[in-house]
Amino acid sequence: MKQYTKTVLALLTTLLVCYSVLYGQTEKGYVTGSLESNSIGYVNDSKTFARVPEGGFGSNNYLKVDYYQGNLSAGLQMEAYQPALVGFPSNLEGTKLSNYYIAWNDEDFAFTAGTFYDQFGSGLLFRSYEDRALGNNSAMLGVRAAWHYKDIFEVKALWGTPRMPFATKVAYADDDTAIGGHPVYNDWAPTQVRGADASLSLSNLLGMESVNLALEGSVLNRHQAVGWEAEEEGVKASTTGYSGRLNFESNGFMARAEWVDAGQKHYEYRTAESNYLVKNGNAQLVDLGYSGGGLGVNLSVRRLEWMNSYIDGRGVVLDESAITNNNLNYVPALCAQYSYSLTNIHPYVPMPYYINGDFVNSGEIGGQLDVYYNFRRGTALGGKRGMKVNFNFSTYYNLAEEGGFAPGKMLWMNVNVGMEKYFTRKFKLKLLYAMQQRNTTYGVGNGTAVANVFVADMLYKYTLKLSTRLELQYLLSYEASNGYDWMAALFEVNLAPKWSVFVSDTFNHGMEKVHYYNVGASYTASRTRVAIGYGRNREGLICSGGVCRMMPAYTGGNLTITTSF
Amino acid sequence: MKKFVLAVLAVLGAGVVMAQIPSVKVENSRGKSVKTSTLVDGETPMILSFWAVSCSNCILELNAISEKYPDWLEEADFRVVAVSVDDAKNSAKARALAEGNGWGDFTLLYDKNQDFQRAMNAPVLPHVFVVDKTGKIVYSHTAYQAGGEDELFNVIKSLK
Repeated sequence: MKQYTKTVLALLTTLLVCYSVLYGQTEKGYVTGSLESNSIGYVNDSKTFARVPEGGFGSNNYLKVDYYQGNLSAGLQMEAYQPALVGFPSNLEGTKLSNYYIAWNDEDFAFTAGTFYDQFGSGLLFRSYEDRALGNNSAMLGVRAAWHYKDIFEVKALWGTPRMPFATKVAYADDDTAIGGHPVYNDWAPTQVRGADASLSLSNLLGMESVNLALEGSVLNRHQAVGWEAEEEGVKASTTGYSGRLNFESNGFMARAEWVDAGQKHYEYRTAESNYLVKNGNAQLVDLGYSGGGLGVNLSVRRLEWMNSYIDGRGVVLDESAITNNNLNYVPALCAQYSYSLTNIHPYVPMPYYINGDFVNSGEIGGQLDVYYNFRRGTALGGKRGMKVNFNFSTYYNLAEEGGFAPGKMLWMNVNVGMEKYFTRKFKLKLLYAMQQRNTTYGVGNGTAVANVFVADMLYKYTLKLSTRLELQYLLSYEASNGYDWMAALFEVNLAPKWSVFVSDTFNHGMEKVHYYNVGASYTASRTRVAIGYGRNREGLICSGGVCRMMPAYTGGNLTITTSF
Repeated sequence: MKKFVLAVLAVLGAGVVMAQIPSVKVENSRGKSVKTSTLVDGETPMILSFWAVSCSNCILELNAISEKYPDWLEEADFRVVAVSVDDAKNSAKARALAEGNGWGDFTLLYDKNQDFQRAMNAPVLPHVFVVDKTGKIVYSHTAYQAGGEDELFNVIKSLK
């Protein structure tokens, strides 16, 4: 692979130099990029059994550089792990050139060779993306081309190999066979992905002005070697999935529908007769929205069945985390977006299928409703400075029977009510009430646990630049599985636009009785930000877009530097 | 690590030409695909802000700009472009949130595959740019503290 990488790079560089020499006189190119560095020094903490890695230190670093000249662009990303931070996938180590591409973009045509990120529709069939907070990077290495005819027809096609974001490192024996059950892929998976996506704008074709109506569709084929054992049970090496989509917009009303046949999937499930469950993945998604006059409403309904699309053909079981997966698609949790710590203790994790021992459920069905409203200034409820309110309701059930739409056991429900208002020119108050009910056995049984979270978030401006923010949270619960009651507070002093200092504490007084304190400061000058902090961090799930990673407890000091140019 | 540090130094030492708005496809508020190069109209500068539903400081900043925008327009003519980088998890929600926060005066764009965010090298949110009428980036800033929006307006005024 290394040799291949070097060849590709040499080719890219040559092309770029040739282009610069030929056309460089006419258009001036420019360089842009970004640098991100996160380092933590870990210390022992007997109260939380905090994890301290060998050497007591971890550092994740990313450098991204892009060069643009007219229609041509080229770029690369380097990653350095010295070693990777605690909780991150163990295959992230050393310094590597992770991304490199050269691209052409003109009015009608686009071409990329090297690494790229892309998605079809909402990503249910295919999405490759990077999320550094999770350590996820499923970039594709290959080629991609796109072409469009006026604003009526658009088509793109791609061929590549996905990067393995969460590979399991396994020790090697003397004869180079892996010790342990799982294959080892450090960078690129032995999987070939070919796909195409097309979009036809009926409204532009027919010259309709007030309506936007488009028909879209995708096809995705993947190929990977499967063992003879699996093949005998009907597992195919080459599988193909399809999706069809409809997009509509008129006068603030929006409707989107997506139907996905994700093709054949197989899951390890050992019985006396067989080793695998061989299934067909499918999903349906409908979004209905309205926005206008200060009112924004959105309703999403989604059904998933066998919708995981593991890059290496099956789930990779990491130490401490069975739900982090290497997916070729994207199945996010469609529920309230929580930004306060106590609302994120037990996040909702979507269930594209669930297998646990003998228990098998094929998927989930559910939806969410969002309402945002702006009471303008001068109205009865808006008062002198206006008031913003928001509401979210979501609920999900597993499937009563395979292939059906009927809901089975409840997996999740939340009710969220929030408001935000400036009471004086200097004082702003945000209030939030969140009720979360989750199934404590992921749908195996009926048992649920309820948490009620109350948040008051107060901003006070002393001068044009000096302000403080106080955040008070309380979690009320009668269930031991939630640890009964929690409380949390955060106090922040800000001197715009450069300085910020905070101190916070989260305390589970109902059960655990450990203070998770944190202090920190940050300095920002233009696009450069330096932040330092020290504190104790809880063990817990961190989730981003439906992909979750278990973060072990750790205590220590951290330094974060981000800059871009 | 040595290689990494060397690479950083090489890039920083190369000397940087003032960056421009790259041309990338995003969705407008009607769900139509538009090129970001069309944002440059040759007449007015703009504040370009990348935000996400999960970024409460981004929403705080855009609300602060929204509240002062009518007053600022009396002193200088400029546009505010709010680019949601939400993926499928929150993109439909982002549309409702923008309306319910009264951002009707802004140009709202949806960068669902984060192509624009990557091309602009704005990995950390909130990330805001001031772009002059020719498409050149004249100022940028990450993070937000209450009152930080005033600096953006000072830059806009200095462009006259």
